[in-house]
Amino acid sequence: MPNLNELTEAIKSGNRSTATRITTESLEAGDTPQSILDAMVVGMDEIGERFKRNEVFVPEMLIAARAMKESMAILEPALVKSGYKPLATAVIGTVQGDLHDIGKNLVSMMWKGASFNVVDLGVNVSPEAFVSAIKEHDATLVGLSALLTTTMPSMKATMDAIRSEQLDGVKVLIGGAPVTQSYADQIGADGFASDAASAVDAARKLLA
Amino acid sequence: MTGKEVLLRALSGQTTTRPAWLPYVGVHGASLIDVTAKEYLQSADLIVQGLTKANELYQPDGLPIVFDLQMEAEVLGCELKWADKTPPSVVSHPMSLMEGPGKALSDLPDFSVEKGRFPIALEALDRIKKQLGEQVALYGLLTGPFTLTLHLMGNDVFMNMYDTPDHVLAVMDYCSEIACDVATAYVEHGADVVAVVDPMTSQISPEHFTQFVTPAVNKLFDHIRSLGSKGSMFVCGDATRNLEVMAETHCDNIAIDEQIPLDKIRDLALPRNKSFGGNLKLTTVLMMGNEMDARQNAINCIDAAGDRGFILAPGCDLPFDVKPENIQAVAQMVHDTYQRDIARTTGSVSETDSFDDIILPDYTNESAVIVDVVTLDSEGCAPCQYMFKATMDARNRLNDDCQVIVREHKITTREGVGMLVKLAVPNLPSICIDGQCKFASIIPDTAVLVEAILDAAKQKQELTS
Repeated sequence: MPNLNELTEAIKSGNRSTATRITTESLEAGDTPQSILDAMVVGMDEIGERFKRNEVFVPEMLIAARAMKESMAILEPALVKSGYKPLATAVIGTVQGDLHDIGKNLVSMMWKGASFNVVDLGVNVSPEAFVSAIKEHDATLVGLSALLTTTMPSMKATMDAIRSEQLDGVKVLIGGAPVTQSYADQIGADGFASDAASAVDAARKLLA
Repeated sequence: MTGKEVLLRALSGQTTTRPAWLPYVGVHGASLIDVTAKEYLQSADLIVQGLTKANELYQPDGLPIVFDLQMEAEVLGCELKWADKTPPSVVSHPMSLMEGPGKALSDLPDFSVEKGRFPIALEALDRIKKQLGEQVALYGLLTGPFTLTLHLMGNDVFMNMYDTPDHVLAVMDYCSEIACDVATAYVEHGADVVAVVDPMTSQISPEHFTQFVTPAVNKLFDHIRSLGSKGSMFVCGDATRNLEVMAETHCDNIAIDEQIPLDKIRDLALPRNKSFGGNLKLTTVLMMGNEMDARQNAINCIDAAGDRGFILAPGCDLPFDVKPENIQAVAQMVHDTYQRDIARTTGSVSETDSFDDIILPDYTNESAVIVDVVTLDSEGCAPCQYMFKATMDARNRLNDDCQVIVREHKITTREGVGMLVKLAVPNLPSICIDGQCKFASIIPDTAVLVEAILDAAKQKQELTS
């Protein structure tokens, strides 16, 4: 039987050919889809931790996420068949006026890697677009990203729009270079994350 | 010695009697003259006006001509989205396969400094050179090869560094050639320093930096040196992990952002005969803080850096809406030894003490008008001495029926710092009358001061009668 630790390692090092091969072999050998998924999630968690510690960088995160994505494509039909449900649905985007996407993409990938169903709205997203996506997808988690100090007020406008709709159980997490915990408190966000790996921890905590 | 000479001394690693000062006035120049960033970055006239204003307000030793890392990309066919308060953003990446047409290098438009907005930047440089060139060192800023590669290839570049490294190296080399052309133009038009701004390198590992960035920037810095100019390697963002590899490049100066301790970069730069610069905090201090925060941040930078090979500068481009008074407060710290002494004294005490035991008098119920003069020490500093004397003169001019108590609080003592904090005095020396700061750092005319004291006495009488 293929070793699932090897799958974890392949995800961590971004080795997509090994990762997809082990995923296929594990399914054929009768490993449960959940156990295969768990091995991948551990890999993404570990690479996220290393990112947080400044030991790996954006390229390493991206190739790990790519290995995960390609392996997930193989695993997904079996997962669905086994009755698997994602942890939650998240809506994510860079706020209006801001076109930067690297940080937002990383969080999006890490959330996917942590078994969230992620709806990525892209960049320059208006408060109204966030609100309608939350309603449409029944999301319980929202991620707002901003790189520019000048677009931080858009975060507040988006927060205000979400709160004015009184959407029950929706938690909002904010992040981006100029953003701080005190800013999150100031605009009434539920949480703040300083990097993509912390965004996973914070999301799990908020939804626990 | 002119400011320019101070800066050039620091840049070449020598000691300076005061810190060299380089405020990165980019789109902030637009705000100073009430135009948008979009208008500003497309007009040599406006850039000249903005920099002229910045020179008046901030007494800089050096100024960048334009701080816009999209100019090269624009010429190479990247689409820009303009904004009112920031430089434009690149919204299309012509070489990206994931999101664009996936063009080859040979499909890109030919690069020339006669295209795009380069003629505007060079004209602004010509004019500012004539106007301020003797006093102020002028910086030509260009887009670093990695950041330009990212503009061209989009996020593809990160995975291509693993998948097709030779392709990435070829694009990097091409971007380095372009940077050489821009550097040549800036130097020919009179720039004293060429700054290679490559913020995206903060997103890659030291190994990738060495593999992809080092060859490209070394070629560029060698070229800048061959032009008889000096090159600065400037990385906005958290470049903590890449400091050593940055210090190993052929640059003359390394400029860093606020996340990096200045002493760390100093210890890497000076032994390699490089100077260094940074790293005032843009958001929390210069934009959102007050003048006191700005002064404190400046003195912390100045003291951490030491007096050799150091250029005081913000961590990155000044935001459009940064408060001019905060930048002026930093300039004051640069040019005034006395202000530096004050910041040192107040900072060390006020950071660890809340002064709960220092209680202000109940001014309204006191029979006398209380004048608190907060000084560094009236015996040791001339402005303090004059301010205290002005207060005593004012008191002596008043009749005996006006009761006045004058007290000096020297911030060389804990009690003095406590009073400074409790009275919320923004500047030193200052005069507070019945607990209100009335004259901050400006010594009032005796008659004006007498008037202010009489006003306070009158108010007191009205309240008690």
